Order: sequence, then C-alpha cells, then structure tokens
Amino acid sequence: MYRLSVSPHIHSKASVSRIMWTFIVALMPAMAASIWFFGPRALYLEIISVATAVITELLTGLLLKKRITLSDGSAVITGLLVAFNMPVSVPYYVPIVGSFFGIAIVKQLFGGLGYNIFNPALAARVFVMFAWLPEMTTWNAPLTTSGFSKLAGFNFSIDTITTATPLAIAKMKGMAGLLTEFGSKMGMYKDLFLGKCPGCIGETSALALLLGAGLLLLTKIIRWPIPLSYLATVVLICLLSGNDPIFHLLSGGLILGAFFMATDYVTSPMTPKGMILFGVGCGLVTMVLRLKGGLPEGVSFSILFMNALAPLIDRYFKNPVLGVKT
Amino acid sequence: MEHYLIIIVSAAFINNFVLSRFLGLCPFIGVSKRLDSALGMGMAVIFVLTFASVITYMIHRFLLLPYHLEFLKTISFILVIATLVQFVEMVIHKTAPTLYESLGIYLPLITTNCAVLGAALLNINENYNLLESALNGFGAGVGFTVALILMASIREKLELARVPRSFKGAPITFIIAGILSLIFLCFKGIIAE
Amino acid sequence: MKIQELSKGLFKENPILVLMLGLCPTLAVSTKAIYGIGMGAAVIFVLTCSNVIISLIKDFIPDKIRIPSYIVVIATFVTIVDYVMKAYTPELHKSLGIFIPLIVVNCIILGRAEAFAAKKNVLDSFFDGIGMGLGFTLALTLIAVIREILGAGTITLKLLGYGWIVEIPHLNPMIVMILPPGAFITIGLILGFSNILKKR
Repeated sequence: MYRLSVSPHIHSKASVSRIMWTFIVALMPAMAASIWFFGPRALYLEIISVATAVITELLTGLLLKKRITLSDGSAVITGLLVAFNMPVSVPYYVPIVGSFFGIAIVKQLFGGLGYNIFNPALAARVFVMFAWLPEMTTWNAPLTTSGFSKLAGFNFSIDTITTATPLAIAKMKGMAGLLTEFGSKMGMYKDLFLGKCPGCIGETSALALLLGAGLLLLTKIIRWPIPLSYLATVVLICLLSGNDPIFHLLSGGLILGAFFMATDYVTSPMTPKGMILFGVGCGLVTMVLRLKGGLPEGVSFSILFMNALAPLIDRYFKNPVLGVKT
Repeated sequence: MEHYLIIIVSAAFINNFVLSRFLGLCPFIGVSKRLDSALGMGMAVIFVLTFASVITYMIHRFLLLPYHLEFLKTISFILVIATLVQFVEMVIHKTAPTLYESLGIYLPLITTNCAVLGAALLNINENYNLLESALNGFGAGVGFTVALILMASIREKLELARVPRSFKGAPITFIIAGILSLIFLCFKGIIAE
Repeated sequence: MKIQELSKGLFKENPILVLMLGLCPTLAVSTKAIYGIGMGAAVIFVLTCSNVIISLIKDFIPDKIRIPSYIVVIATFVTIVDYVMKAYTPELHKSLGIFIPLIVVNCIILGRAEAFAAKKNVLDSFFDGIGMGLGFTLALTLIAVIREILGAGTITLKLLGYGWIVEIPHLNPMIVMILPPGAFITIGLILGFSNILKKR
C-alpha cells in the first residue's frame, strides 16, 4: 500500500511564495471590483481582515515556536478571501473574528500551511455566518456611481438601502421576480457578469474573477479538473431541473468558490480522478442547497463539505506511482 | 413512504446523532483513529441500534405501558441493551466467525454507547411506532457511522501533520468535530419545509 | 486522606478536563450556566449514592454479574433523580431532556463504581463521589458560562423564579457558540489549554 504524503508536493520555499503571490495578484481585479461597486468600506473590510490574518499568523507562529511563514503570503490570501465572502455592511469585528478563527484554529492548530484539512477562509465564513446570521445576510445594493470617486472624496458612508441577492429573489419569486428586478434577461446577465448586483463584496463580479482565474490557469497554479467539473455539474443540474444555467453560473459565490477556493491544493484531492469527483460533489451539494436549502447560497458549505470528504476520496484514488505522469 | 425516508435522513444527517445531538461521543473520539476500525465499529453500532430500537419499543408498548411500569423505563432499557449486546455477540460468534473477528472487540463497548439508549428514549419521546422506531434507530446508526468514518479519514491524514503537541488527540478531534458540525448545520434547512 | 479523596476530583483527576469522561452531557447541556449546575447536581447525587451503595454491597456480589448489578443500582438512582426533577423543577427537567436518564450510561458513574467504590470503604467512596461530582459540575459550569456569555451575552443563574440573569452589555452574541459547533470547538480548546497547563 502506498503511504499518502501530505499534499502540497512543493520542493522549494521560493516556489511556494511565487504561487502565493501570483494568487494574490489574481485576486486584485476582484478587489478592485469590490471597491468600484461597494465603495471604500469594502477596502477597509479587506485591509482589516488581511491585517488580522497576518497578525494572527505571526502571533500563533511565535506561540507555537514555528518557523514564521509570513513571507509566503498565504495569510494575506486567507484574509482577503474572508473579506471577499462578506457583505459590505458587516461590523468591523466580523472580519476580525473570521480571520482570527480561520488562521488560529482552522490553519495553525492543524499544523499550519500545508496541513490544514479545511479551507481556512471558508470555515471562517461559515463560522461567522452562524455567529451573526442577520449581519451576514443583510445586503446593500451596489453604488450607482464608482466607488473610487467616493474613495477619492473621503466619503466613507455606506448606502443604507438594503435589498435581496439575486439568488434569494430567485428562490422566493422565481424568474419573474428576477425580471422585474433587472428589467430584461440580457440586462440581468450583463449586470451579473459585471458584478452590479447585491452580494458578498468579492463574489459579485464574474468578469473580474475570471480575469484572475485566467492568470492562475495560464500559470498552471490551478488546474482545470475541479472548476470544470464543478461548473459542469451545476449547468447539468440546472438543465435537468429546469433552472437557468447562466443565471446560476454567474450569481452567488460560484465563480469565486470554483476557481479560488475549491482549487486549494491542501484541502482538495491529489489525483485527477479524485479532483473530478470533488468538483462534481461540490456542484451537487451547491445546487441541492440552492434549490432546497434553508439559506439561498450553498457554495461555501459545499466546498467545506467536500474538504471533509477529500481524505476519503484520496484513499480510494490512491497516489499515482511516482514519476508516472497522469 | 416519503415520511419514512425523512425519518432516516433526519436521524442520519439533519440531526446527526454525534454532531448535533452529542450522542455516542466516547466511541466517536476513541475509535476514530483508524479507518478500518471505524468501519467495524460503525457496522456494529448500526446493527445494535436498529435491534435495540425495536426491542425497547416492544418492551415499552407491551410491558411497561399496560402495567403502568413506566418508572422502570431507564432501568429496563439499559438492561435490555446490555443483554442484547451480549446476545448479538454470541450469535455472531457462532454463525459468522469472520464477521465476529472484525466486529467482536467493538461489541462490548456499545453497551455504554449513549447513542443506543438515547435512540431508545427518543423513540418513546417522539411517539414513534414500531417501524418508525426501527428506521430512526437505523438512521441514527448510519449517521454515527458517517461521522465516524469522516473523522477517521481526516485523523489518518492528520497523523502526518504538525499539530501542536497539547492539541494532539482529543482536543484536535473535538475541533474537527466542531467544523464538521458547522457543515452539518447547513443541512438543517433542507427538510424543514 | 478524606480531603484528598474529595479534592482530587476537582483538579488533578477532574473527570471532564483530565479523565475526559461524561463528555456527551457536557457538550449537550452547556448552553446555560444553570443547566450546568442542574446537571451537575443530578450527577453528584447519583454518583455519591451509587458509590456508597456499591461499596456497601461489593462483598455480596458475585464477580460475574458485577457490572449488571452496578448498572441496576445506578439506574435506580437515576430514575429517582429523573422523577424528583420532573416534579419540582419541571422546566429544568425539560431543558436537560434525555440527558437525565442518560446519566445511567455516563462513563463517570460506572467508571468510579468499577475503579473506586468496588475496592474502597464506604466513607472513602462517599467522598470520592462528592469530589468527582463537584469536579464534573465545576468543569461543566465553566464551559456553560463561557458558551452562554459568548453565544447569548448572558449568564443565567435563575431557577423557579429565584436567582438572576446577568446581562453582559455591549456584546453582540455569537449564536454559533450555543449551537453544537460552538460546544465542540469550546471543549476542544479547553482540553488543549488544560493540556498546556498540565505540562507546566
């Protein structure tokens, strides 16, 4: 029997930090979009979240007498993703508690980078979601003018118009409700693609996320099997159940989840077959939760659920023989 | 039909015995180190839970209720469960020695598994009939096994990880259980309608 | 000697924090401080009584049916507690639910019967029961207070209209802490930190 080795099969420190910093660059378009659509407060949430993540990593590293791994940028990624998964109106302590939980408990207690079982940012999101459900499900409409102009004018206020996310509208009122909200079907696709809809600050703009995802795919930092099988499963279930596949692809946290979080090396299976099964599982659970669940969105839960199954999947699709390309 | 399916799914996932009802924690922590033993323990628990649900239901329905002996519920249930476990052990030993070899060591441990007595008491509280009790017991066993297998596979992977020494073993296992329980929480809404 | 039997349960051999026994009720009922105290009181009663009785009858019981006889003794006291609580503190009884009858399979009780009461004299067993029960109550209430403060922003010490509910001001409680995940994470962290203290 082959002994499974811990999954990031990375050989030099330099390559780890190269991967991580490229990953951060890939998140930049979505960060810009979050400020554009939700204003300066989105930026503050991101700064606070990243700062908490970095400080927590530093302090726990000192406490546990670990080699300090700050320069690899992984804490920055976790912090950014935690903030990306929150609505713009959350109180500032929410990203602080989230990032602390993600780094201290979900990452460092499990042995630090490369050993965590669950994606820290996702576990953090789900934790704060159940901690402060009202705050985590209050959505603001995107700004009518560019958020950058507000940033330049030191205008820190947030618009107080609260609204429902497209997925929540779809769940309660169906396609008819969406059409009254967005005007026309094409108009809806356009707004969803650009990111002009209520939602978590980093998840709404498909365009910005796909730019980053393109970079990650080109540099081979993430690979096709997981996102492809994930998205394909979502489309298939939509077609079978009579739902609009384009709407489901573009709304909620699907693109953010499929490209940036489900692809995390450490918490997903190692073999191509395992990856495909992982993606199909994510798609299945996402759609079950979206169509039948109590909450309108299911991406974070589904990926976290598959994280828990990843060790089992790896056991059944064992490591390929060393040196053989699969 | 759907009603019965809901009982099983609810006991197994929505109100998972271990992760949301806190029943059967001792074996959950104790026997989740290796996947193969987790599987053995799980099978044994499914078996005993289903049988115990049926037998305790019958005792309650045909003995305790007619003769107004409900105060003997706790005492009679625990004795029945202990006897049942002994009996199952003997039967498996005689009829299926290979099965016995893989399950044998876990059987005596099940008497003190509070999931068994818990399921029996819940069946009475919920006013389940015979079939519903059996299905609830079976579902509870499946839920226990699912949680145990997930935990064992995660802990096997974690064996190579540099978990801080003070958190090795039970503490990290509870934290994993906490995160699994977070995941199971989101299944809650599905059956509510 | 007697003081030792009493005090060891509190810290050195604390049933929850050190021996890790009786975890199911610990996690299930630690959502309010008063539940911790109520559950603890029930366990102290059952543990002390069964310890005393078992230590009294230990010489008359054949070794082979030892465990079943202990279980009968324990189940008797559990039934008494169950009915007494149902009659006098019905609200608390309802909140603790099946975890009162489940004291019967609580490993602390049978564990102490087998490891202590079956070997020692009546007085020692009595103090052992009280000490272990107090240790259980202390740890359980500690966990309940932590979870209640973080998860509900209160400390409830109210029973049958007596006592009070302390409210912590300026705290937006994290509901998750009084849900099952909060229980698992809290006990995981507490066990980890108590391991760190033990090594000092």
